Parts: sequence; C-alpha cells; structure tokens
Amino acid sequence: MNPEINIPTIALAGQPNTGKSTVFNSLTGSKQHVGNWPGKTVEKKTGTYRYNGSALNIVDLPGTYSLTSASLEEKIARDFLLNERPDAVVVMADASQLERTLYLFTEIRLLKVPVVLALNMMDVAREQGKNIDVSALQENLGVPVVPMTASRAKGLDDLISVINNSLKKKNGSPALCMEDNKLLNKYSEIYSLLDDEIPNEYSKEWIAVKLIEKDEEANLVFNRYVSGKKLETAEKLVTEIKDGILHVAGARYNWIRKAILNSIKLLPSDEKKIRRKNFDRAATHPIWGKFIAVGIILLTFITAMIIAIPVMSVAQLLMGPGSGALRDIFSGAPLWVISFFADGLLPVTGVAVMMFSFILGVYFAFGILEDIGYLARLAYVFDRPMNRIGLHGKSFMPLLMSFGCNIAGVTGTRVIDSWQQRMVTLVMVSIIPCMALWAVVSFVGVIFFGAAMPLLIIALLAVVAVHLTFTSALFRKFIVKGEKTGLIMELPPYHKPNWKTIWSYVWVHSKDFLKRAGTLIALISLAVWALSYQHDGNIENSILAAIGKFFDPVSGLIGLDWKLFIALIAAIAAKEASLSVLAVLYGIGDGASSITSLFVSGTGGFENAALTGAIAQSVSPASALAFIFAFFFSIPCIGTVATIYSETRSFKWTAGCSAYYLLASFIAGGIAYRIGLMIF
Amino acid sequence: MNTLDSLNNGEQAIIHKFSGGKSFINRVAAMGFTLEAEVTMISKRGRGPVIVYIRDSEVALGRSEAEKIIIKENLK
Ligand SMILES: Nc1nc2c(ncn2[C@@H]2O[C@H](COP(=O)(O)OP(=O)(O)OP(=O)(O)O)[C@@H](O)[C@H]2O)c(=O)[nH]1
Ligand SMILES: [Mg+2]
Repeated sequence: MNPEINIPTIALAGQPNTGKSTVFNSLTGSKQHVGNWPGKTVEKKTGTYRYNGSALNIVDLPGTYSLTSASLEEKIARDFLLNERPDAVVVMADASQLERTLYLFTEIRLLKVPVVLALNMMDVAREQGKNIDVSALQENLGVPVVPMTASRAKGLDDLISVINNSLKKKNGSPALCMEDNKLLNKYSEIYSLLDDEIPNEYSKEWIAVKLIEKDEEANLVFNRYVSGKKLETAEKLVTEIKDGILHVAGARYNWIRKAILNSIKLLPSDEKKIRRKNFDRAATHPIWGKFIAVGIILLTFITAMIIAIPVMSVAQLLMGPGSGALRDIFSGAPLWVISFFADGLLPVTGVAVMMFSFILGVYFAFGILEDIGYLARLAYVFDRPMNRIGLHGKSFMPLLMSFGCNIAGVTGTRVIDSWQQRMVTLVMVSIIPCMALWAVVSFVGVIFFGAAMPLLIIALLAVVAVHLTFTSALFRKFIVKGEKTGLIMELPPYHKPNWKTIWSYVWVHSKDFLKRAGTLIALISLAVWALSYQHDGNIENSILAAIGKFFDPVSGLIGLDWKLFIALIAAIAAKEASLSVLAVLYGIGDGASSITSLFVSGTGGFENAALTGAIAQSVSPASALAFIFAFFFSIPCIGTVATIYSETRSFKWTAGCSAYYLLASFIAGGIAYRIGLMIF
Repeated sequence: MNTLDSLNNGEQAIIHKFSGGKSFINRVAAMGFTLEAEVTMISKRGRGPVIVYIRDSEVALGRSEAEKIIIKENLK
C-alpha cells in the first residue's frame, strides 16, 4: 500500500516484542507477522487507518533496542525517524518489562517530534502482580501514556484520540531523559558549542548526545557545520568521555528508574507464575530441556501431519477422477492438449496443494510454539551444540524445521540477527534431509541393502553432519566473512496462546508461499512436463531422455545410467515424485504421456514389487548406493530454491547455492560409488 | 577480576566494566547492561549459555558473551 500524501504519518516504534505489529494489524487490517519472539518485523511497513472520514498513515517499524544503527533493523527504524520525519511517534513499551522497554523512549525523546507512550501488555503486568499508576507515570515521563492490551484490541480508541491531540501540537520539543550530573555538565558544554552552528532542522539535543555516544552519522553532521576552535574543543570534550555509550545508557536507565519508581507497585505473585517458572527451569535445563525439546518437536511434526494427511489424501483421491474428467472434456483435442491438462497442469497443481497442506501444518504448529514464547527457549537450549559448528542458538530453529520441510527452514532464518550467520544458516538448511527424501531413500535402500538399512541411515546422517560442519566452516571462512557473534537474546515471558495471532501467522506465511514459491513450482514442473512429453507413451522418446543420454558420460562417472540420472533431475520438481519417475523409466508405469502424470498416482500407480524387481535386476548395488547419496545431497526441491530466492532477493545467492548443492551431490555420489565398488 | 559467568545460580552482582568491542557494548547497553547495573544469575549449567535477570527482563547470553562482562562485589 502506498502511503497517502496530505494525511499525517504516525510511526510505531518500540523495542522488539512489545506489540507494534499487533497494533498495526488492528488499525490497518494488515497481516504483519506477530509472535512471541523478539525481532520478527525486519522491514518497515505502511498502512492506512480510516475512521469517521479521516485517515492516518501508520508505519510499523522493526523492533529495536536502541537507535545506534548497529544492525539493519536499527538502521531502518532510525533512518525513518530521522529522515522521513513522521508527524508523531507512538513508542510502544511492555508494561511487564517496563524498565528496559522504556529505553528506546528516552532516545526517541531527543527528536523533534510529538511522542505518545503506548503502555502495552497491561494484562501480563497484572498477572505478574505489577500495579501501574498510569497518571503518575504520565507525569514523570512528560508525555501522554495510553494503557493497552493490544492482543485483545483494548486501548486502541484511546490511542487514536491521544495521537490526534498530539498532532495538533505540530512539533514536539526534545527532552533529555538522562540522570547523571557529571555527564550532563559535559553535555551542556558540547551543546553550547554547536548551538549557533547547526541548522534548526536538526535536533541539537540528538546530535550532542549522539556525539558523546561516538555515533558516526552525528559526527558527520557535526563536522559539516562546526569548524575551527569550536570543533576542536568539542572533539576534545567527546574524547574525554571514554565509553560514551555506556555513560549515556547508564544515565538513561537512572532516569527511567526514577520515573517509574513511584508508579509501579509489586503485589505478591500468584500460583500460575510459579508454575511457569518451574516449567521454564526444566525447559532451559541442558539435559531435560533437550528432552522436552525433542518431545515438543515430535509433537509439532505430528500435528503438522495430522493437518496435512487429510488434505493430501483428498488431493490424491481427486486427481485420478479429475484426470479422467479432463480427458473426457478434451477428448477431441490434439494429444498434447489433453496431456497438458490431464497429465501436466492437474498433477502439478495437485502436488503443489499437497506440499502446501504440509507447510500449512508446519506453520500452524510453529505458530503455537512461537506465540507462547517457547521458540526463544529452544534457541537457548541448543546454543552450545550450535557453537560447535560456528553458529549460535538462533540458527537451531531453522535447521530443525528443515527436517520437516526445507522451505519452512529457509524462511525461518529470518530470526537470525547477524547477516553473516543468517546466510551461513540458510545454506546449511537445505542440506538437512526433509521427510520426502527419507521416503524415497528407504524404498531404494531396502531393495538393495535390506537389513543393512540402519547402517545406511547412519552413514547418511554422518555425511550430513560432516557436510554441515564443512559447509559452515567454508562459508564463514571464504564467502560471508564477518565477526563471530554469540547469543544475546531476551527470553520473552510465556504468554497464553492467542488463536487470532496464530491464525494470522499461518495465513501470512501461506500467502507468501503461494505467491512466491507457488508460481515457480508450477513453472518448473510444467517445464518438466514439456521436456518429458511424448505422444507414444514411451519415455525413451522424450527430450528429457535425450538430455539424460547426452549427459551419460558425466553421470557415468558416479555410476548412474541415464535413467537414474533423470530421476535425479526430476526430483528437483518434487522429491516424492522420483519413485514414480523410476517406475516409468524402468518400464513399470503405465504408458503415460509425461512424467508429471505420475504425480496423479503417486507411488500407488505401479506395483512396488514390480519396480523392486526391475531395479534390482538392472541396477548394480554400487550404482544404487551412488544414486541414494547423490539424491540425498542433491539440490533441494524447487519450492526451496524459490524460497531461497525470495528470502535473499539475490539471483547470485540462489544460483550459487544451487551450484554448490549440485557439486556436493556429485561428489557424494562419486565417493559412494567408489566405496560401493569396493564393498560389493 | 570476576566475569559475569562466575556467578552461581541465584547470586547477584554489579556490573563493573566490559571487555568486548564497541558493537558488543552497543548491543548489551541498550538491553540494560550498563555500569553499576544489578544482574542476577538465573541459570548457569555446564559450559553452555547463561540466563540472567536484568532490569525487568530475562536475557540469554552465550558463554563467550557473558565472559565479556566484568562484575564487582557479589551481592548474594
Ligand atoms: N498478553 C498480551 N500479549 C500481547 C499483547 N500485545 C501483543 N501481544 C503478543 O506479544 C507478542 C509480540 O507482538 P508483536 O506485535 O509481534 O510485537 P512487535 O513489537 O511487532 O515485535 P517485533 O516485530 O519483533 O519487534 C505476540 O505474541 C502478540 O500476540 C498484549 O497486550 N497482551
Ligand atoms: Mg513487529
């Protein structure tokens, strides 16, 4: 939505997890990501709130602890506040964690803008036994304070009317929310040096304080306007204050302490709180915590399956008759038209729907975990294991989600704060074998290795571990270099699940998936249809077969004949489909007009026993081993690749990752083949 | 000189100084880790990350991050 001109713009600023997006969504009807985990909103988003014939532009900013432009989100929030000059700023604070969440308020008060403090999560504060005297707080903070419970839409009307009152004031006058006489004396000296020099469009209070913090941008402005003796004196003063940021932060917190001292009363805490504390103690225990985590994760995937299986079965059931019906409708048309609809479009859509239903389930389950605040605990419990591969706890979630579905994992990397770590995690995510991979691997594996299957699985997992470790080291060393950062993360208090939030979480993610990945999946799958189309039902006559044969010298290196090679390629469209593809290639499947038609029947379209026999006859165990490894470590499905693109917005990254996985697949397959030749 | 991770569960101390770089200090200062601030160790086990309570909030810190925060006088 484009911001409308001529109507006032209100920015929603605040520390992470204070409820900005919740308010934004209620006012503008948008569906921004909301959840109990700090740092979900990473871009600013604009919407319009309309009421009684007037309107306000509302801007949802990323949550930031301060405005030091240390991270990308901080830069986005800061640039918006400084350069785009909203007409008023609503600073959101969390009443249950008031002291810390007021920090950003003290910083924003340095700007020339009317400020309103939205005191959110009043319900949580009440549960914690914190009784807040709003009028005393308002007096001490010097701005209007609106108590709210945004998740239940309480306080929104008050907020709007207070905003409207503030808008009448036009410019806000900056206030110094600091308490530290020594520091304030220095500040006054610096301020007096720049007072006459810096133009009035800047907040001089902001510049002076930021100079003490040794902020680079403030320093640039300062150097542009101030020169000569004044510049020298000021620079000397600034360098005298060692670790300026610490003193400024300390002074701000002193001020906050004083401001909230007589406005919060602590009542004895209730039983519920104690129960939560006990749960949390177990959930963050290095051993019990991991058990609880594994239990909860299993439960999550089971929930996802429970949601997905009915949809998948219905889609399966409908595809057969649907395909038949399409054939009837187009009965007079040329063969390729019939094939396009009945064997191409329909099965492709069907597979997309099935993939989608699973993703829906994953999102639903993770939405619950996120909303109650458990995700942050997982990051904590798995911080140490993650350290061993050069990452920290926040990378755990995305890697974990990838066991279900790589797409969910790629999106999940958003919560990681450092760009370097996010990219490394993103590359690692697709190395994790998803559920579909296991299905194919166990089928082929059992044919050749029977009782030795557990060994094969252990070998595969061992290679996954080595691959992950190596990839992490490689990318950190050569590709995305950067300072190694450790885990610094607030653990949000547990909340009761809020179904409205969870639903909108699912909705937003699914919409995203459909829009971005959905189109690409469809396009690529249709390309596979076109390449494998033949009118006589003999796959050997398709373009795909020609391609496979062309690459025979290459695939031969890792012991794959052209059929296995094509199964490998077709797997890119959908991993589950490769079994059906194998069936056709080995002449077991019905004489279909294209590989995609096999999506209709899935694995049920051929006799498993027949396929088993055919494969066992014409493929050597060494080749089978090579196929399994090459398949296992190959490029992820097209849905994941599409998501990598939509998350990085970089063609280079997407292509680079894909090439990396292909190479890994080739190497894994090659080594497996050599080893296979030695064993069998 | 003791670092934050030397506190045992339930112990309290006052922050004395920091040994991390500027970007580390910028990040933690805004979250409430300032000179003279009171911190309480909530959870420390083995060599893993710790959870501390500071200014109304629980914050998880990797072990190496906790080692960059130097404390004085154990308040118990
Ligand atoms: N109990 C309670 N929960 C709330 C309230 N307001 C928001 N929440 C929940 O708090 C969590 C954080 O809300 P968000 O709106 O995502 O917070 P945000 O400020 O946009 O967070 P970031 O984008 O990460 O900075 C979500 O789980 C909300 O459902 C409230 O008044 N009471
Ligand atoms: Mg948000």
